[in-house]
Amino acid sequence: MKVDTVLSTCVRIVEDYFLRIGDELETVRALLVGPFEGGPVDSRLASRSIEPQVRAFLDRSPVIGAGYVAAPGALSDHELYLAWWQGDDKHLLATSDAPATGDPLDYTRHAWFRTPARTGLPHVTGPYVDFVCTDEYVMTSTTPVLAHGRMVGVVGADTLLESLETLLLPTLRDARATLVNGASRVVVSSDPHHGTGALLDLSTCREVQPCRGLPLSVALH
Amino acid sequence: MTVRRPATRARSAIFAPLGDEGRASRVENRLAEAIRSGVLADGERLPSEPELAGMLGVATVTAREALVGLRAQGLVTTTRGRGGGSFVTRSRSAGVELGGRLGAMSRVELRDRGTVYAVVLAGCAELAAERADDDDVDDLRDLLVRDESDVGAWRHSDSELFLSVAALTQSARLVREVVRLEADFGGLLRMPLADAAFRRGSTGRNVALVEAIADRDPARARASMRAHVDASLERLTELHASVR
Repeated sequence: MKVDTVLSTCVRIVEDYFLRIGDELETVRALLVGPFEGGPVDSRLASRSIEPQVRAFLDRSPVIGAGYVAAPGALSDHELYLAWWQGDDKHLLATSDAPATGDPLDYTRHAWFRTPARTGLPHVTGPYVDFVCTDEYVMTSTTPVLAHGRMVGVVGADTLLESLETLLLPTLRDARATLVNGASRVVVSSDPHHGTGALLDLSTCREVQPCRGLPLSVALH
Repeated sequence: MTVRRPATRARSAIFAPLGDEGRASRVENRLAEAIRSGVLADGERLPSEPELAGMLGVATVTAREALVGLRAQGLVTTTRGRGGGSFVTRSRSAGVELGGRLGAMSRVELRDRGTVYAVVLAGCAELAAERADDDDVDDLRDLLVRDESDVGAWRHSDSELFLSVAALTQSARLVREVVRLEADFGGLLRMPLADAAFRRGSTGRNVALVEAIADRDPARARASMRAHVDASLERLTELHASVR
């Protein structure tokens, strides 16, 4: 069955892409466990521990930003902190403020932080417009960082929807398929009538194949 | 370690080249708005005069003139020598600052700014109701303020609720526009929240907005947002009449 083969190819490309990011995040996570189990960690130590690794990751991957986001109280000097590098110049984010008041934005309520905090497992959030870090339309991969059994934050990486479209659209077109997230929201679709970000009624689809270990599925129309 | 603030879109917009002949007062106004709204943080070092001039596409002498104006407004202090430069001194009394800004504005300008804000946010609410999933709705409910006596925290939550509604449109450009509007006008629009009775009314309107989005009712969501912004604008215009 040619269609099945093409569908499997779509699923595999998605799995490979996010698994590779997961592997990179695992490496960054491991670098933070030592410092956190060794004693108090401030923003500077957290940043220094991962910066070379994160920069190398950004160099070899299409992600637009990556780093460590502290759980409240995990760092000795900041309640909320992002050791996060992003953009062409890979600048450090540090804190994120609300535009109207200049007060720090509490990121802990966002799914990319909350879900791994609840499950203790890696997660992929999105598509969503991120107004904390990038002001872009992204998918965010996050992995919890545990030290002494407590979550001290997450390590994560943002992928632009545009990058995913470039990566996936040719294969999705071959299969006439749509990649959706766990809420049936379109990530990338071969069908021009299903715009990215729209909600898709999966009951109208002939077949839906889940991606392993990811809240994503490929649907055939 | 000096923490450099991020080059977000809101910040890029401040340093984007000015369209026509760059005038010192326009440079001054743009930077003053950014400082008052907090896009440029207290204590942050501004680019040097030549850098500023280069970024904004104006002559160095124009940038210098703008900095003189900002110093006169007490928004910037300049120190000389090694490690010197111009630093943001955001007013400690934000309320007094906002009042001053409101007083300096004509009623026409207030209505003009309010109209843009209302139309953009109403459109966001409409699309959010079309595109929100169940988790999104839960997130919005979490942002509703219940018992909060701190007006600053109240304003912050209100602003974050609106940004979150904008994010549900799934359009990054629209969100950046709302970020810009919030930086530009959000502080003024939330001045009426200083009044407890107004806060109660505001809570009711926010609940109605979130419930309309929860019901996936775009028309009601749009109408709720309009009602919310209109109520704030009306109250703000009364405040304006009292200071001017």
